[in-house]
Amino acid sequence: MAVVEVRNLVKQFDGVRAVDGVDLATEEGEYLVLLGPSGCGKTTLLRSIAGLEQPTAGDVLIDGHVVTGLPPRARKVAMVFQSYALYPHKTVLGNIVFPLRAAGMTRADRELKAKWAADLLGIGHLLARKPRQLSGGERQRVALARALVREPHVFLLDEPLSNLDAKLRASARDELKRFQQEVSTTTIYVTHDQVEAMGLGDRIAVLSHGKVRQIGKPVDVYDDPADTFVATFIGSPPMNLVPRDEQLVGFRPEHLLPVDALPATVDREKVPLAVDRIEYLSGDRHVYGTVTGIGEATRVVARLPATVDSPISAGETYDFAVARHRLRFFVAATGERA
Amino acid sequence: MTAVGPPRRRLADREGTLAWLFLMPSVVYILALVAVPFVLAVGFALSDVTAGDPSYDFVGFRNFDRVFDDPVFWRSLGNTFIFTGISMVLIVVLGKILANILIADFKGKWLVRFLVLLPWTTPVTLGAIAWLWMLDSIFSPIDWLLRQLGLLGAPGALFGAGSNMYWLGEPELAMGSVIAVHVWRLTPLSAVIVMAGLVAIPRDLDEAARVDGAGWWRRMFEVTIPMTLPVIAVAALFGAIFTFTDMAVVDVLTNGGPNNATQVLTSWAFFRGIDGGDVGQGAAVALFLFPLLLAAAIAILRAVRKMEVR
Amino acid sequence: MAESPSFLGVRRSRRSVLRSTGLVAAGATLASLGACASEEDPGPGGPAANPGGAPAETFTEPSEKLSGDLKILLWSHFVPSHDTWFDKFVQDWATKVGVKATVDHIDQAQIPTRIAAEIQAGQGHDVIQFIAPLSQFEPSVLDMKDITDEAVKRWGDQLDVCRKSTFNPTTEKFFAYSPGWVPDPGNFRASLWGPVGFTKGPTTWDELLQGGAEIKKSKGVQMGLGMSQEIDSNMVLRALMWSYGASIQDANERVVINSDQTVAAVEYMSRLFKETMTNEVFSWNAASNNQGLVAGKLSYAVNSISAYRTAQGTSPQVAEDIAFVPALRGTQGALAAQHVMYNWIVPKHAKNPTAAKEFLLHYTANFAAATYASKLYDFCAWDKLTPQRDGWLASDPFGSKPADKLAFLRDATKWTTNIGHPGPSNTAEGEVFNTFIIPNMFARAARGEVSARQAVLDAEAQINPVFAKWRSQGLVGGGS
Repeated sequence: MAVVEVRNLVKQFDGVRAVDGVDLATEEGEYLVLLGPSGCGKTTLLRSIAGLEQPTAGDVLIDGHVVTGLPPRARKVAMVFQSYALYPHKTVLGNIVFPLRAAGMTRADRELKAKWAADLLGIGHLLARKPRQLSGGERQRVALARALVREPHVFLLDEPLSNLDAKLRASARDELKRFQQEVSTTTIYVTHDQVEAMGLGDRIAVLSHGKVRQIGKPVDVYDDPADTFVATFIGSPPMNLVPRDEQLVGFRPEHLLPVDALPATVDREKVPLAVDRIEYLSGDRHVYGTVTGIGEATRVVARLPATVDSPISAGETYDFAVARHRLRFFVAATGERA
Repeated sequence: MTAVGPPRRRLADREGTLAWLFLMPSVVYILALVAVPFVLAVGFALSDVTAGDPSYDFVGFRNFDRVFDDPVFWRSLGNTFIFTGISMVLIVVLGKILANILIADFKGKWLVRFLVLLPWTTPVTLGAIAWLWMLDSIFSPIDWLLRQLGLLGAPGALFGAGSNMYWLGEPELAMGSVIAVHVWRLTPLSAVIVMAGLVAIPRDLDEAARVDGAGWWRRMFEVTIPMTLPVIAVAALFGAIFTFTDMAVVDVLTNGGPNNATQVLTSWAFFRGIDGGDVGQGAAVALFLFPLLLAAAIAILRAVRKMEVR
Repeated sequence: MAESPSFLGVRRSRRSVLRSTGLVAAGATLASLGACASEEDPGPGGPAANPGGAPAETFTEPSEKLSGDLKILLWSHFVPSHDTWFDKFVQDWATKVGVKATVDHIDQAQIPTRIAAEIQAGQGHDVIQFIAPLSQFEPSVLDMKDITDEAVKRWGDQLDVCRKSTFNPTTEKFFAYSPGWVPDPGNFRASLWGPVGFTKGPTTWDELLQGGAEIKKSKGVQMGLGMSQEIDSNMVLRALMWSYGASIQDANERVVINSDQTVAAVEYMSRLFKETMTNEVFSWNAASNNQGLVAGKLSYAVNSISAYRTAQGTSPQVAEDIAFVPALRGTQGALAAQHVMYNWIVPKHAKNPTAAKEFLLHYTANFAAATYASKLYDFCAWDKLTPQRDGWLASDPFGSKPADKLAFLRDATKWTTNIGHPGPSNTAEGEVFNTFIIPNMFARAARGEVSARQAVLDAEAQINPVFAKWRSQGLVGGGS
C-alpha cells in the first residue's frame, strides 16, 4: 500500500504535449481510474508512473520518495498491460514466477507464492499451460497473478478489460473490484470506458489533451462536472447543454422529465419539448426533441425511466421540466463552471 | 441496346487454374536450376565425363573410390565443416548484436545502418578483393596498425618480432582469415533477419519484463532470445548455407592454400572438375554438399513453420 | 603466367562472380575495374613506340574461297595495345577474304570453363585461343596436324617448346596449334644485387641463395619465389626442378618425380626459403610479383617483362632499377617454363573450320606485328617470321634504359621449355598443375612439416592416380 503522487508532470513527444502539467495524488489503497478519450495522455501518464517513460518535466513520487529517475524495477510497481504481455514461450507458472526469479527468490518460495496467486485468481489448474492455450479471461488472470506475486506497492492497469468480449467484461470488472478490495493495494486503472470507470473507481480522474479536467468520486464527476468536457464525456447520452446568454445551461437527460413525472414539491423549470424521435433502450425511453424556453432553442435528449409511462409520440410538443437544483451552469466561452 | 449475355466465369475467377499458372514459374525455376543440375551432378559423378570429352560412359562408383583415396578431399571436407560451423556461430552472435544496434534509436542511426549493411550489399568478390589487400603479406593495413600499436615487429611484441603476420601464408591464420571474411559478409544478413524478429516482438513484452524487475541480461536471455529463436535459427542456417556453398572467398583469398589449409568442397570440386578437367570426380566431390544442404533446408523449413504456429 | 593487380582482380573476381552469382552486370563492372588498372597501360610518360616502328603486314590468298561467319574467342591480352591491333587485323583480313568475323575477348581465367561449356553445348566459337596447353579438350577438337604441317612447310621447323605444348604423342594428334609464346625470365633489383657482388644478377641457383641471403641480412629485403596454390609458384618451382634434373614425368610420360634430384631441389628450396624469404611466399598470388617488385620489397622474382612494363609507366626509377637474367643454372642445367603458351583450338562443332585455319596461318605470317603490338611480350614459334625482333630487343622501341635491357631475350628459346618437360604437355600434367601438387610439395618441406623426401613421396602418391586416370582414357602414354 502506498501513495502515488504526480507533480506537474509533463511528457512531450516531438513537440506534442501528451501529458501537460498533471498534478495528481492517490490515497492509500485507493482505486483511482484515469478516464479519457484515446490520445488524452492517460496511458502516457500511467507509463510515466511505471517508469516506462521518462517525463520531460515534473516528478513522480511513490510513498513520498521521488522515483522519477529510477527504472521500473526499483519502483515496486506492477503493471498489467492491455495485451497482458504474457511471455508466449513460458508456461503460466513460468510467467507468474518470472518477477520472483528476477527478485532472486528461492525456487520453493517462488512456487508457493505462484500457487497462492493462481489459486486466488482461480487459475491453479492452468499452471502447466502455455498462454496460447488460454482464453482471454484466463490470460487476464495470469497477467494479474504475475502482477500480484511481487506484492507491489502499486498496481498499474492499462485497459485490462478491453480485449474481452462484452459479456466477459462485466464479470471481469466485478472480479477486478473484489480482487482489489481483497488485496487492498493502491491501484491506478486506465480506461476510456466510462462504465468501467464509474463502476470500479473510488475516484475518477478525467483527462483531456494531457490535462486533468476533474478528479473526484464517480458521483461527483457525474453530477457535478467541472466543465463541459466532463459533462459531455461522461454519461450516456451526455449532458444536454442549452445556450442562454453568455452561459450554457446543463442538465442530464434523466432529469428532463414530463412535468407530471416530477413531484410538484420540487422547484421545477418548465420547458416545452418538441419531440421528433423516440428510442427504446433497455426499458428506458430516449426522447429526442428541441427545447425552448430555457434558453436558445436546442436539440436535447430526455431519458425517461420505465417508471414514467406518460404517452409521448413524435411530432407533438409536450411540457417537460427539470428540477432546478439539477441545473448546472457553464461559462459559454471557456466551458468551465459558472 | 445490345443484349447482355449471362454472366460468365472469367480466367480470373478460376482459382484452380490460376493457382497452377502462378505456380508454374517457381516449378520451372526449381526444375531448371535445382533438379536438373542435381540429376546432372549425380550422372556426372557416376561417369567418366571430362571437360574435353562429354561422351557419357557409366563407371559406377569409381570416381568416389578415387575421391576417398585423395587426402585433399578429406581435408576439404573437414575444412568445409570447420569453416561453416565457426562462421555460423560468429555470424549469429554478431548478427544478434548488430541487430540490437540496428533497432536502437540514436542520432546518426541511418548512417550506422547503412554502414552495417554495406558488406552484404557489396558483391562477394569485390569485398573479398578488398580483404585480399587488407590481408596482404606485405602491405596489410592490419599489420601496419599492429606495428603502430607496438604489437608487432618489435622484440617481445605480442604477435612476434616479424614485420608481418602473413595472414594468408600461415595455415591457421589463413583459415581464420577466410572465416573472418565469411563472417564479415554474412553478419549483416543475419543482423537483418534477426532484426526482423526483434521488431516483431511486441514492445509490451520487454516493458512487462522491465516492470517485472528483469535487468538487461535477463530480458535478453529470457525474453528476447527465446522469442526470436526461430528467426535466429533461420539466420544461422542461412549463414551456414552461404558459407557452405561459397567458394568465392576461398578462391579470391587463398585459392585453397597454403597447402590446402583453406580448401573447401566447392573450390576443390572446381579445381578438380573444371580446371583439372576431371568433371566426373569434381561432381563426386560436389555431391558431398548435398546431404548437408538438404539437412539445412529441412531445418530452415521447420524453424519457419514453428514461427507460423506461434 | 601471372601478372598484375589487374590481372588478379579480373581473373579471380570475374570468374567467381559469374560462377557464384551469375551476375553478368557485376562481371562487367569488374571488367571495367580491371581495365582501369590495366597493368600494361603505360600512363603518362610510359613506354611509347617510335613512330612508324610497326612492321608491314603481309597477305596470302587463301587456298580456297572462304565465306560465312568466323567467331573467334581469345583472352584479353595483358597488353591492351595488342587487342586494339588484333581486332583491326582480323577485320582487315575478313573483309579481304569475304568472311564475317566476330572477335570476343574475355578474361583468360574464364576460357577453360567457357570451352568446357561450349563443348558440352556443342556450339560456340569456331576458333579459341588460350594461354596454356589445352590438352584436356583433345577428344572434342579438330586435329591441328594439317595446319601445323602447312606452317612448317611454309616457314620451317616450329619451336620445340610450342610443338611439345600442342602435340600428344600417345594419340599422335595435335590438340592445338601454337604460333607463339612468352618467355619467363628472372627479374632482379640492380641496386640490391650490385652491393652484394652480383652487378649482373645471379646466374645460378647457388648464387641466388648466396646473394639473396646477403641482401636479406643486410637490407632486410626478401625474395619472391612463391610456394602457394597459384600459377607463378607452379612455374618457378618446375623451373627449379628441371634445373636440378628432376621432373614430374619423363619423355615417355612415366611418373618419375620420386627421385634424388627432386629431393635435392626440395631441400634447396627449403634452404632458400629459410635464408631469403618470409611466409609471404605461402600466400603468393598472381599479383605478388608485380606489387613486390615495383614496391622495392623483392630482390628477385620470376615473371614476364610485364611488371617491368608497368613500372615504366608508373615509376620510371623503379623500372630503371629492374634488370633481367635468363633461367638460373642448377646442377643439371638451366631451364624455365614458358610464361604464356598460346594454344589455338578449333572445336569439332565449329561451323567454319576452314576459315579458322586460314586465319591462323595469316595470323602466324604476321606475327611480327603481334610482337610489336604487345610491346615485345609475344614471341613467335618461328624465328624467321619475326626477323626484326632481335633488333627491337637490342634497342627497345618502347623506351628501355639502357635500350638493350631486353637483349638477353634473344636466347630465350635456349632456356625455355614446356610444362611437362621432358615429356609433352599432356592432360595429366595439366591436372597436376591445376591441383597445385608441386607448390604444396615444396611448401610442406619448407615449412618443416615433413622431410623433403616425404614431401616428394606424398606428391607422388597424388600424381600417380592422375596419370593412371588419363592413361586409362587413352590420352596419356607411359603405361607398361
